[in-house]
Amino acid sequence: MKKKNRRWRHYTLELIFTVLIVFAASGIGYLFRYVGFPETNIVIIYLLGVLMTARFTNDFVFGILGSIMATFAFNYFFTAPYFTFAVDDPSYLVTFVVMTITSIATSTLTARVKKSAAEAEERATETNALYQLTNNLTDAKSIEGISLISAKQISQILDCQVAILCFDREGNPEPTFVQCHGQENLRREYNKSDDVAHRLEGMQRSFITGKEFCEWPIYGRESTLGVLRIPKMFGEEMSERAKKLLMAMIESTAMAMDRFRTAEERIRYREESEQEHYRGNLLRAISHDLRTPLSGIMGTSEMIMDMSKKEDPRYTLADGIWKDADWLHSLVENILNLTRLDEGRLVLQKQPEAVEEIIGSALEHIKKRAPEYDINVSIPDDVLMVSMDAKLIVQVLVNLLDNAVKHTTQDQSITVSVEKAENKAVFCVSDNGEGIAESDLPNVFKMFYTSKMNAADAKRGVGLGLPICDAIIKAHGGTISVRNNQNGGAEFTFTLPLGYEVWGK
Amino acid sequence: MNVKILVIEDDAQIRSFICYSLHAEGYDYLTAQNGTSAMNTLVSEQIDLILLDLGLPDIDGIDIIKKVREWAEMPIIVVSARDQDKEKAHALDLGADDYLTKPFSATELLARIRVALRHLYRQNGNQTQSMFSVGDLCIDLEKHTVRLNENELHTTPMEYSLLSLLFKNQGKVLTTAAILREIYGVGYGNDTQALRALMAGLRRKIEKNPAKPRYIITEIGVGYRLADE
Repeated sequence: MKKKNRRWRHYTLELIFTVLIVFAASGIGYLFRYVGFPETNIVIIYLLGVLMTARFTNDFVFGILGSIMATFAFNYFFTAPYFTFAVDDPSYLVTFVVMTITSIATSTLTARVKKSAAEAEERATETNALYQLTNNLTDAKSIEGISLISAKQISQILDCQVAILCFDREGNPEPTFVQCHGQENLRREYNKSDDVAHRLEGMQRSFITGKEFCEWPIYGRESTLGVLRIPKMFGEEMSERAKKLLMAMIESTAMAMDRFRTAEERIRYREESEQEHYRGNLLRAISHDLRTPLSGIMGTSEMIMDMSKKEDPRYTLADGIWKDADWLHSLVENILNLTRLDEGRLVLQKQPEAVEEIIGSALEHIKKRAPEYDINVSIPDDVLMVSMDAKLIVQVLVNLLDNAVKHTTQDQSITVSVEKAENKAVFCVSDNGEGIAESDLPNVFKMFYTSKMNAADAKRGVGLGLPICDAIIKAHGGTISVRNNQNGGAEFTFTLPLGYEVWGK
Repeated sequence: MNVKILVIEDDAQIRSFICYSLHAEGYDYLTAQNGTSAMNTLVSEQIDLILLDLGLPDIDGIDIIKKVREWAEMPIIVVSARDQDKEKAHALDLGADDYLTKPFSATELLARIRVALRHLYRQNGNQTQSMFSVGDLCIDLEKHTVRLNENELHTTPMEYSLLSLLFKNQGKVLTTAAILREIYGVGYGNDTQALRALMAGLRRKIEKNPAKPRYIITEIGVGYRLADE
């Protein structure tokens, strides 16, 4: 309401100004007549008055009004009969018409010149504002800094309250946002129930009008970076021109934010690769430092076993040391494998391998650890070549066989078999041992899962072997599953896709 | 003549256990904790066999092999960690004779040393042996025949040359690259697939179960080895 009042007062003042100018012109006219100047000069004075009106009022209406008033004043004061709107000499009518037309033309021209001057000035201000904004934005040291600078600048230019809420990388609103009015600025907490992101998704126009605010999204190259908000009253009254300027400023802000994010990303990427490098070195160091002493322990305890007779308690003790060291060694190997797999960047060194060689290697490995077990093997008659990372698949088989050995006694049997299915090789490791409890079946491939069924002194597991198998097989594009077979023992099945033609046939 | 072995190993515990095993077996030995002292010993002493840990603190084990091979032919057995397949194969191709993976047992160690020394004596003695056997498998290089369980076994020329190569290096690991070079000749490329297929065919003739080989053992990522006994 205030604004309307102000406008009316403005109009009134300008009206009074116009009337005064006309009166002043009339006064000067009297003076001229008194001195004896011809009437032409009086007309010129009126025209000057109209020009002044057009120059110093803001609305062209006053110029036209002034023109008409000037004509009537001339008629009233200076044509016979005086002090009436009647004329004796009809030739004056021509003077009136020409005078009116001339003064209207003059006033409109003046108004237009004035308008374009004002426009030029406005444009200069806008350019300047944009330049200032871009200039300031380059100094920003964070996304918050950018939003603060933009909010401040936009607030100064639009002369209203401005708030900017930034979104994080995932597109979720940050917990706080910046709010500026003129030089003042403050940080406010973002009300989570106000679901801006969702609103932006459904928007139709370039901005949204809410209950109290108008909102403009700040679009980056890839995602929405934030949202700018100004009070509804200002937003709705904004001219097209101001809106355009606002859009341009939002664009600059978005560019600055984008640039900042890219730089940040680059730095992060570099840091990550550095970290990767360190981690690699650390892993190598750990693996060396853990394995070397373990080799020493295993070798030495073996020597002690060699030196003592089997009945000697020292033999049993040394055997215990060897077994523990061996367990620790396979744990270290598994942890190392897992870290490598876990990084998600495991590069498979795939090559077509003969399945029998892979199984042979795994059996060789198990034979060292559990020489008393005899493991049955069944392979197809034709050579089966499967594309795989040989070492990793051997590791899978070793882990599965190790698991089988742990859950069977020597008189029970363990079988490894491979079959060729349509477009995959199916590996199966089964035993007729105790099997796996139903409650454990869905969990065996989970990290660090060890069965609760086992008593505390049962053969130890760390719950790493099977998750590693799972990860390796998945990396190969295969599947792994477990069930209890008809003998009650556990049966692990995994498949590998046959990328290459089967050799020979 | 007593065999003198140089043990190059930086870990004291492993060194002492290796030395004890060597001593118990009646070998003479010298030790070196790093590459530099190893090189010094090598130039000043008459060494018959080298046990070399690839992960030394100062010089890369691979470089030691290269240097030694410039002037000496004594067997080198490499000791390495498990995930160093590439280094292992590389070391073998550069002239190492065999390798052991940590952790290894004394039995394994001594078996490898025996194999290496046997090959050394055979070379030095210049005796050309023409009959070899392991288990029930025999090969007669003069008559070009292979016998399994006293029955003559029919082999293709390729299979025969593969088998004779393995027999000549019985107990030693041969890298895939070395086998390809020997049986197909230099410049044949490295068609490991062809070798795998050839090996599979041969195994089907001599092994009861190719997945549980009695004679030809696969060393994943490295090569093959013919069983020593």
